[in-house]
Amino acid sequence: MAREVLGLMRGKWIGAPIKRVEDPRFLSGEAIFAGDISLPRMLHAAFVRSPHGHAKILSIDSSRAAKMPGVVLVVTAKDADFKPLVDLLPPLDGLQKTPQPLLVKDHVRFVGEAIAVVVAEDRYLAEDAAGELESAIQYEPLPALVDAVKAMDEKTNLLHPELGSNVFYRKKVKVGDVEAAFKSADKVIKRTYHTNRVSAAPMEGRACVAKYDKSFGQLTLWISTQSPHVDRNLLAESLEIPENKVRVIAPDVGGGFGQKQPTHPEELVVAAMARRLGRPVKWVEDRREHLLASAHAKEQTINLEGAFKKDGSLLALRAQCIGDSGGYSFNPTSGLIEPSFSATGIPGVYDLKNYEYEIVGVLTNKTPTGPYRGVGWTAGNTAREALLDLAARELGLDPVQIRLQNMIQSDQFPYRNCIDMLYDSGSYVETLKKACEMAGYDDFRKQQVEARKAGKYLGLGLCVFVEPSAFGSDVAAQMGWPLPSHDNASVSMDPSGKVIVSTGHLGHGQGHETSFAQLAADTLGIDVKDVIVQRGDTESAPWGMGTYASRSAVIAGGSISYAARDVRDRLLAIAGNMLEAPAQDLEIEDGKIFVKGSPNQSIDVTEVAHAAYYNPRIRVKGVEPRLQSTRFYDPPACYSNGTVIALVEVDIETGITKLRRIVFVEDCGTMINPFIIEGMMAGAIAQGAGSALMEHLVYDASGQLLTTTYMDYLIPTAADLPSPETAHLETPSPFTVGGIKGMGEGGVISTPSAVTNAIMDALAPFNPELRDLPLGPDKVVKIVQAAIAKA
Amino acid sequence: MEQKSELTLTVNGEAVSRTVPVRRTLGDFLRDDLAFTGLKLGCEHGVCGACTVWVEGAPIRSCLMLAIQCQGVEVTTVEGLAKSEDFGILAQSFTDNHGVQCGFCTPGMLMTASAFLKANPKPSEAEIRTAISANICRCTGYKGIVDSVKTAAERLAAGKAGAGRAQGRA
Repeated sequence: MAREVLGLMRGKWIGAPIKRVEDPRFLSGEAIFAGDISLPRMLHAAFVRSPHGHAKILSIDSSRAAKMPGVVLVVTAKDADFKPLVDLLPPLDGLQKTPQPLLVKDHVRFVGEAIAVVVAEDRYLAEDAAGELESAIQYEPLPALVDAVKAMDEKTNLLHPELGSNVFYRKKVKVGDVEAAFKSADKVIKRTYHTNRVSAAPMEGRACVAKYDKSFGQLTLWISTQSPHVDRNLLAESLEIPENKVRVIAPDVGGGFGQKQPTHPEELVVAAMARRLGRPVKWVEDRREHLLASAHAKEQTINLEGAFKKDGSLLALRAQCIGDSGGYSFNPTSGLIEPSFSATGIPGVYDLKNYEYEIVGVLTNKTPTGPYRGVGWTAGNTAREALLDLAARELGLDPVQIRLQNMIQSDQFPYRNCIDMLYDSGSYVETLKKACEMAGYDDFRKQQVEARKAGKYLGLGLCVFVEPSAFGSDVAAQMGWPLPSHDNASVSMDPSGKVIVSTGHLGHGQGHETSFAQLAADTLGIDVKDVIVQRGDTESAPWGMGTYASRSAVIAGGSISYAARDVRDRLLAIAGNMLEAPAQDLEIEDGKIFVKGSPNQSIDVTEVAHAAYYNPRIRVKGVEPRLQSTRFYDPPACYSNGTVIALVEVDIETGITKLRRIVFVEDCGTMINPFIIEGMMAGAIAQGAGSALMEHLVYDASGQLLTTTYMDYLIPTAADLPSPETAHLETPSPFTVGGIKGMGEGGVISTPSAVTNAIMDALAPFNPELRDLPLGPDKVVKIVQAAIAKA
Repeated sequence: MEQKSELTLTVNGEAVSRTVPVRRTLGDFLRDDLAFTGLKLGCEHGVCGACTVWVEGAPIRSCLMLAIQCQGVEVTTVEGLAKSEDFGILAQSFTDNHGVQCGFCTPGMLMTASAFLKANPKPSEAEIRTAISANICRCTGYKGIVDSVKTAAERLAAGKAGAGRAQGRA
């Protein structure tokens, strides 16, 4: 029997670990990704990109390229029929948004920036001509700025001279009495941490196919995206097509992790080419283009200073988060979110009273940055947890103890933190204790001592995190990004009683087709198999902002259950007429509607649905018989939490770190599908481990990106990782529909910290310090050799 | 003009003859000319393994092989694998162990895993991890995939043992 829990109807489906309904098409090879789409008379686009990090374009001679075999069109900025990336968002105090051209005209700001597009009969021919055109562009190279800390003070070499500075955003906030806290401290520790520039690197890169129907003036774009409606809006604005004549379809999407949330310039150009030529145009980036020009992420320099008492009490923190945002503020705020969310994320799970932070968004000659799983929180958590470990070491305290004593305790919720974030509920202490128990913390310390005697270096590192996971307008504002973030869902039941759920939250690996069906099935009292979740088509889905920031479980959860409730109410009203019973006395279970307590006298949902459509006599006065509803949800803020513990073994000769175990205890409130949650946890850990140990987009001093293949940009393989050991606590949010909190990012937020802290712990006899990530073999060997040289 | 060549081969059990540009990769040929889009191009540098197909039953990177190198050979893509006898067990094992998330690496992973299980029907976890380290997955952290391959091995072995016993009794 379904019961209502925190506004959500819960029956047999929510909380059940059911298998994913979307799997069969992926396993058989029948799934259709954007790159799999082929249309009659389709052309292929290739982009010509800057080989310089910073340069003036002196001339472009496209005459030879235009005459190459199969070439249909070559377009540069001077003959563009589209506007630069348009800003759709309200202004943000202090943010100087940089305009970003779709094809750069005269001033290139990063290697890989698109200068021209070639459209040809096939991709090989398009690339031939793009290669030819590449050699027909004259540049005047300018000194490249590849260090954000230097770029922020640069007075003459400016990426966007009209801003008068390379700093596009700067904000300072101080709460409590930070000076007094530092004065009264027994120990002040100040360090600089540099987090690595990485790529979300989904297995499918960017890809799109555009088609323009000239007679009707309608544009259709199939695109690998997380946000079809936002893309539609940008297409309409940039190409100046009425938005009701733009249709965006996200077919199956091969991973996104945040990177495919912002619309990229190339995607708009491809659409413009289809319009200009009246033929479909396809563009599928290759991996080199992906690493060069798809949004980068997470590079920051964080200056962090902590004031501690001898007993380990954390009195105050001061942070300066300098975001290395690349060539543009991008799309137009993506460059800001990284340092901004770091600064607001640094208080984290701690009961901190005094905090001062500065956010600096800096333009450099690198690829613009965008969201990637755990935006900002990864860097902030990594810096803070490293500082806490250092404090524990210098004060002679246990790293678990120093965290426990400074942590927000479970009886303090809801807890308004020092910068006005309202943590709805949580289990910070409990997840830490549970993770320590699973990791065998006390025993480990003994093993560590014994192993060292035998020349083996074992280490344990941990990170306790809280993450904003109902990314609606409320949580966005609490994180210092006061911009809209809401969504809608439709639920409709057809005359045969089958249900379609439609939302802008398309899944791209998260199993939305399964979890969302569970939500609707419980409210409607039907089998989950009778619900289909439609994916990413602006023509069928109600307007939505898309899938990002762990928001879908909460926002789709709310909007789907509201819409399903409307359908349920109408169904029951009609059934009441048919059963001659008051609707409020009726219950639905297993597809049957009956008076509570009398399940034997029932009527099938299918019968009621059929009647709703075909029998005018059963209508109820004042109730539309339409079994369809679209509802909106913009949830109050809520926060998931958890603890990751990494156990490593470091070979001090080779510098290689072996991840022996990863323990992850997560609390994301009400779980819709624990089976899917487990998989998301494991995936996030892998990405976090990658950025801790190997993933790094490296630039040289001239602004050249050195890591443009998977042979240089290393992604963890199955041989690099252990299977994580996971556990769940379930503390429902008191604020959101059903107490659902959302999840998926915790592993990326906290694994880099847990793994790097574990390496520091393993190397403790060599007095190591974490300064920058990734912590690959080269750095480990340096730490060991420096200690030996000193001894 | 691009140089072209005649090519005759067998794909998923069917004879195919085409004129192809000599520089066309096997992956592009299978996807664009024959519409076997199950195989995916993830890196086109031979690293990620998403484009894995079988040539004469052995897994290869179709992004690194030219179509014309496949004169007279037998090529199998995931669409062909999906028609094979044991595919149901393999696919169900992936579903039961959350071996699929976004699904983009899945076809290549299945081609690698299936060939591996033929060569090593009773693998250890370490052997599975080494085998599938030829394929990158960005979503699952591999736990679901390792468990899927392990389960498939067990189920295939049980099925064969069952079939063997049944035959023995008959």
